[in-house]
Amino acid sequence: MRRWAHRTHLAGLLLVATVACGRGNRSAPPSRISALDDAGRTVALAQPPSRIVSLSPAVTELLFALGVGDRLVGRTTWCDYPPAARQVPSVGDGLNPNIEAVAARHPDLVVLYRSALDETAAAQLARLGIAAALVRQDRLEDIARAARLLGRLTGAERAGDSLAQAMQRLVARDRAPPLPHARVAFVVWDNPPVVIGGGSYLDELAGLAGAANVFHDVGAASATVGLETIVARDPDLIVVLRDSSAAEPPRFTRRPEWQAVRAVRQRHVVSLTGSLFARPGPRAAEAVAEFRRQLEAVTR
Amino acid sequence: MRWLGLGVVVAAALLLAVVLGPAHVPLADLATSEVVRSLRLPRALLAFLVGGSLAIAGAGLQALVRNPLADPSLLGLSGGAGLGAVLAIALHVNSPWALPIAAFAGALGAMALVYRLGLVGGAELDPRILILAGVAVGAFTAAVTTALVSLSDAAELRNAFLWLWGGLSGASWDNVALLCVYAPLPVVVLLAAARPLDLLALGEEPARHLGADVESVKRRVYLAASLLTAAAVAVSGVIGFVGLVVPHAMRLLWGHRHRPLLPAAFLGGGALLALSDTVARVAVAPRELPVGIVTALIGVPVFVLLLRKWTAS
Repeated sequence: MRRWAHRTHLAGLLLVATVACGRGNRSAPPSRISALDDAGRTVALAQPPSRIVSLSPAVTELLFALGVGDRLVGRTTWCDYPPAARQVPSVGDGLNPNIEAVAARHPDLVVLYRSALDETAAAQLARLGIAAALVRQDRLEDIARAARLLGRLTGAERAGDSLAQAMQRLVARDRAPPLPHARVAFVVWDNPPVVIGGGSYLDELAGLAGAANVFHDVGAASATVGLETIVARDPDLIVVLRDSSAAEPPRFTRRPEWQAVRAVRQRHVVSLTGSLFARPGPRAAEAVAEFRRQLEAVTR
Repeated sequence: MRWLGLGVVVAAALLLAVVLGPAHVPLADLATSEVVRSLRLPRALLAFLVGGSLAIAGAGLQALVRNPLADPSLLGLSGGAGLGAVLAIALHVNSPWALPIAAFAGALGAMALVYRLGLVGGAELDPRILILAGVAVGAFTAAVTTALVSLSDAAELRNAFLWLWGGLSGASWDNVALLCVYAPLPVVVLLAAARPLDLLALGEEPARHLGADVESVKRRVYLAASLLTAAAVAVSGVIGFVGLVVPHAMRLLWGHRHRPLLPAAFLGGGALLALSDTVARVAVAPRELPVGIVTALIGVPVFVLLLRKWTAS
């Protein structure tokens, strides 16, 4: 981790120099950058972009990690990390972007989350002559690919590669030994109960931290289940995601019907911060370590 | 005979709701199982009470406004309840009962507004204006709710809609007891209005000539039906079509006289919701369907048939 962070810094310096040169020498033939994004579209740029709008909090975080955060000129309302991201003007929502607000920032690259709605938005941006890249960043293994793609597009290839390698190492090697009594259920909403299934980033983080998701067999990223099903699966711990690190347990743990769940009765409830855990990004290793620390604190 | 049949359906619906579920409970352990005692039983009873309340309220409202398409959700109550719930989340009211109480308050607010609008033409409650006011208030509260949700920064708020369509997963002995204390009064008010409602079917003038206190009956029926619906929304979110379809189905069996129709609607609505909720819990286990989807899947085809019949006559 530390090594790529260091490289990132160097690469960032190099980049600033390259961009500065590029600006000073506009008559030079354009050095074309081209890459395939996650929607299979070819994104072509004449030069590394100097005005980027990010329409996904995970992308914003990744761009800062690649050392090109200073080129961001627009972000979503939800982009709150790193703190410097808050200084960037917001263009509103990222999943249903306001194209006019995005265009008003005069970007030369817009990065969107890959969804049907955003593919339409990318086509609209293309008609305005603005390059757009669609990035799918749902799971751990997506981060490396996204880092390489964004590194290539922004001219921060070395930073992108080193970040991608760090992510691949995390998936392949840095698996914590399984903890006893660490069968968890992620409860993201209580009425109706919505839990996190096997096809999710959180499920992967749980595996890396040495815990097991009792709803791993549910293929979807999240699913509505019956309270009775949670009782039957009998998790050792309930994990909830919070906007902030609130000290008190969530209110549903005090409701009478939830007392049928053993982990709720025993007050084995772990609160994780949404911005760190709900967003696949360069802080994945940090998230795993934090998760492990909280698991050990409760299961001890 | 018909009553016996309905009784059997109710008993079967409640029995299935207790026996079936995503967790495996052997028949021999039913009486001692923690899952049955603290989850399935209160949920089955809550489904029965909510379904019955919605259906009897629907039967009363259809007679009151003399419109076969009247339904408790047409009166703006669900919109008001949704707005109340979203406001409670937006203001960070951190209590386990915050959402139900706020939804109930929102529904009562919408009810008061619709009632006041229904009196706009003068001292008499005009049923046509009542329905129009209900639709208008419903649309307005839905718009405000959506605006709040889309403009807010709290990620939690996006889940408010889940709660609003949430069905019966919040069932506990507490809210079963609450409904058992609360529901009898409006139900008795509706049952007591059975005879005047029969007269009202002839039209307001004839009913008045036959000795019915038309104004008082309209107000009592409207308030009782709204209070029942508001409580149902507060404990279970918005559940569609029970209040619309069940009274019509019961009318086919019991005719248009309200003395048998109203209790039959209560029992039939309770059975339908208990059955629908069982389907919602076990059909795609371990996942769960919103119960409103199951009632709509059964209710919409019936609704279409009724619509054809209604437009043909």
